[in-house]
Amino acid sequence: MSTEFHNLQELRHSVSVATKVFIQRDYSQGTTCRFQTKFPSELDSRIERTLLEDTVKTLNSYYAEAEKMGGQSYMEGCLACATAYLIFLCMETRYEKMLKKISGYIQEQNEKIYAPRGLLLTDPIERGMRVIEVSVFEDRGSSGSSHSSSVSSGGISQR
Amino acid sequence: MGKEACLRYTSSTSLPPPLSLPLMPGFSSGGLGGEVGGPAASPPCPFRPSRFVPVSAATTFLVGSTTLFFCFTCPWLSEHVSSVIPIYNAVVFLFTLANFCMATFMDPGVFPRAEEDEDKEDDFRAPLYKTVEVKGIQVRMKWCSSCRFYRPPRCSHCSVCDNCVEDFDHHCPWVNNCIGRRNYRHFFLFLLSLTIHIMGVFGFGLLYILQHQHQLDSVHSSVTMATMCTAGLFFIPVAGLTGFHMVLVARGRTTNEQVTGKFRGGVNPFTNGCLRNVSHVLCSSQAPRYVGRWRGKQTVEVHPPFLRPPLSEAQLEAKVLDNGIQNDHHSSRSKSSLEQMESQSADAEPPPPPKPEVRYPGLPRADTEESSLLSEGPSTPSMYKYRPAYSSPQRNHTALTHPNKMIRGDSLDSPSILQSSRQASYRSEPSSLDGGSVIGMVARGGERSEGPGGSSGTGGEIAGGISGYSLGGRSYTSYPSSLVLSTGGSHSSSMRSAHTHHNTLGTLQSEGTTDTSYKSLANQTPQNGSLSYDSLLTPSESPEFESAAHELSPQKPHAPAAFPPAMTSSPLPGVRDVPLQGYTSPFLSAQMAQQREGQLLQGSASFSSPNRAYLRAFSPPPPNPPHAAHPETQHHLLHQDSRHPHLRATSSIRPLPPVSEQPSPSSPHACSPDPPVSPPPRGPSLRKSPSYTGEAGLQHKARPMGGGSLSGEGGVRVTQAPQSTSRPGLANHSTSKLVGGVKKVTGVGGTTYEISV
Repeated sequence: MSTEFHNLQELRHSVSVATKVFIQRDYSQGTTCRFQTKFPSELDSRIERTLLEDTVKTLNSYYAEAEKMGGQSYMEGCLACATAYLIFLCMETRYEKMLKKISGYIQEQNEKIYAPRGLLLTDPIERGMRVIEVSVFEDRGSSGSSHSSSVSSGGISQR
Repeated sequence: MGKEACLRYTSSTSLPPPLSLPLMPGFSSGGLGGEVGGPAASPPCPFRPSRFVPVSAATTFLVGSTTLFFCFTCPWLSEHVSSVIPIYNAVVFLFTLANFCMATFMDPGVFPRAEEDEDKEDDFRAPLYKTVEVKGIQVRMKWCSSCRFYRPPRCSHCSVCDNCVEDFDHHCPWVNNCIGRRNYRHFFLFLLSLTIHIMGVFGFGLLYILQHQHQLDSVHSSVTMATMCTAGLFFIPVAGLTGFHMVLVARGRTTNEQVTGKFRGGVNPFTNGCLRNVSHVLCSSQAPRYVGRWRGKQTVEVHPPFLRPPLSEAQLEAKVLDNGIQNDHHSSRSKSSLEQMESQSADAEPPPPPKPEVRYPGLPRADTEESSLLSEGPSTPSMYKYRPAYSSPQRNHTALTHPNKMIRGDSLDSPSILQSSRQASYRSEPSSLDGGSVIGMVARGGERSEGPGGSSGTGGEIAGGISGYSLGGRSYTSYPSSLVLSTGGSHSSSMRSAHTHHNTLGTLQSEGTTDTSYKSLANQTPQNGSLSYDSLLTPSESPEFESAAHELSPQKPHAPAAFPPAMTSSPLPGVRDVPLQGYTSPFLSAQMAQQREGQLLQGSASFSSPNRAYLRAFSPPPPNPPHAAHPETQHHLLHQDSRHPHLRATSSIRPLPPVSEQPSPSSPHACSPDPPVSPPPRGPSLRKSPSYTGEAGLQHKARPMGGGSLSGEGGVRVTQAPQSTSRPGLANHSTSKLVGGVKKVTGVGGTTYEISV
């Protein structure tokens, strides 16, 4: 018992990931990249619905724009063919540019909205665009909870 | 996954077998996406030289023939016909070569392996397939046991590369790479350009030969003729393949889909019209790679205190009722942390508003609960987790005020909510389980219905791990545990292999079977229900289940992890009036049920060994349990539960003797445990089955009507919490009522059984 108290005081303000919530892909419109806007119930007590839904909707719009087949992507393809794809050594594809933008957006959202609430969004590209991983943190010190063995993303299994 | 033969000739490639050539060094092994960093794609492939033979041959032919053509034929052509010819051929050749290299070396769209946390979200008793609706058409997503996720639509796992590839087309041996989303365009353009190149080489070579008919024995002519022969030889298969892929592109299909006949008779949900399909292949922006990405550092810091959203009154009220439900997230609470929490309760900040509890009624959110449960760290056994939860119930008054941070202790807290706490505590119990969240969930369900039986909810009872464990192991009747339902709608019958990486003795393991067994299970239980209830009703076919059960029963002892009994609570067989509310009875198939039961009983920590004999002998429950015995059965079960909570595992489709024919269930009949009996042959009616309680008091029910024998002839009636995750796709027999993912099917003689769908 005393040991735990001792540990508690030391770890008073540390945080650890208690759980992870996964927002799955929405395949209802084909294989284009979309995530479900349904609010996961585990986050009910952690964040307002509208905030998360807005984030997901914005992400969806970014992905839709990245995958859009328009003039720019066509020109890019032609240029690539003309240069025997050597242009990819110098130039970033449209998709990659959008991914950078998305990454910046997620970072900003994390800083402004999610970190203060003890949540953290993981860029879906790190999961193969299959899920949006929301790490739910718990304050170890004040709650004395969650020795979750789950580690931050990417740390666990290198298979 | 074992590596199959590295040389993999798909049906779409009809090129002649390659000549044996010296190996070309330098090809990367395995998935050419590489493992630069970040998520891992696949383990390194052992170097197999034979994989490089076709690609070496292709490269040699392409480069060699073209070089010869340029050296021997083109000079004359440029002089005497036009100088554009070599330029044209050079351009086409370069284009071909560039696309060939891109097709060979580009990552086809490999998915990185899912991490453990993500895997836990999906119950390891989850079904093998998940169904999603794509443009109104149901598409199945299969669980990939290597990559640990449900394969997105159009994704497939390549056994040669040992990777799941997005929009998997095929594995092409000629480029020694998978063709997927990212490099399909390059592969297609390679084929097109190669066809054009071959035609050019052949045509210009023919022109040369026609002009040199008198000099056919010269070196130039003979080389040109050789080149023409090579070109002509390759033209037919290459052109055929090109035409094939042009049709595929126009139709918006992949080779995999075409070859497996997925959309043969139906509609392809992935097509957007011919023009759009073509433009998608040729004009879309290059898809990003998922593996080998450079990961920026996570610079966002997270510190407490955390903001919490305000909750409404209704949520507050729900929170009070459902104390501790929200603790599901924190399943990986440790004993120390719990005690810390309790001791710190006085110091803690004002409690945030209670978490809304909407899961309570009928467990609508059970799946999320499950998922949240499952997403926790695994390793500590459930027994360990239980201990702290119930060790000090009285101290948790303040704990109540920290709903979101509370662990299971919450549920046991305030005496004022003792009644609800019982149920709440049931709920929270499973949450305390780590890896065994699955069981916890099921147990959750069962416990609730067991109010009279074992007040496990009240803290006093759960003395130690065993009791807590047994709590988890209780059989639960009719507790709708829709949580086990995997997200995403209907599921077919076969279950994913149990992943036992979390399993310790105390943890609950869904199946305890290996991947193989599940896949074999899946194979045995065709989702179309060839082992349908029709067949079950006809006695002649009943042995199918038994044989399958026989096959499965030997696996039970090898189940890697203990599967606490009564993990899944199953509704009393035939209890129609019990509202399902998302409760699914785990009757996937006879085999599954048997297997589960066996594992359940085997998994019982303290009672495993004595029961093992029973369990092993337990043959799958007959498909059509009598439904007449509901009240007594229920009573019987409850009675049993009170005595031997941990031994319960009743299969949902356990045939129960009709009430009228049975003496009071509580009176022990032949209580002596029967020796292990091989699954009895199914009687014609398959209705009655003696039910046995656990060893220490399992009641042996005499077979009522002489009719069908329950597998449990020697079988032990184990209450089995519904393993809703596995959903058999057995065909519906007669009337069926779809409730919460479970179909109730009426069989012959009024027996009912639930099939989870």
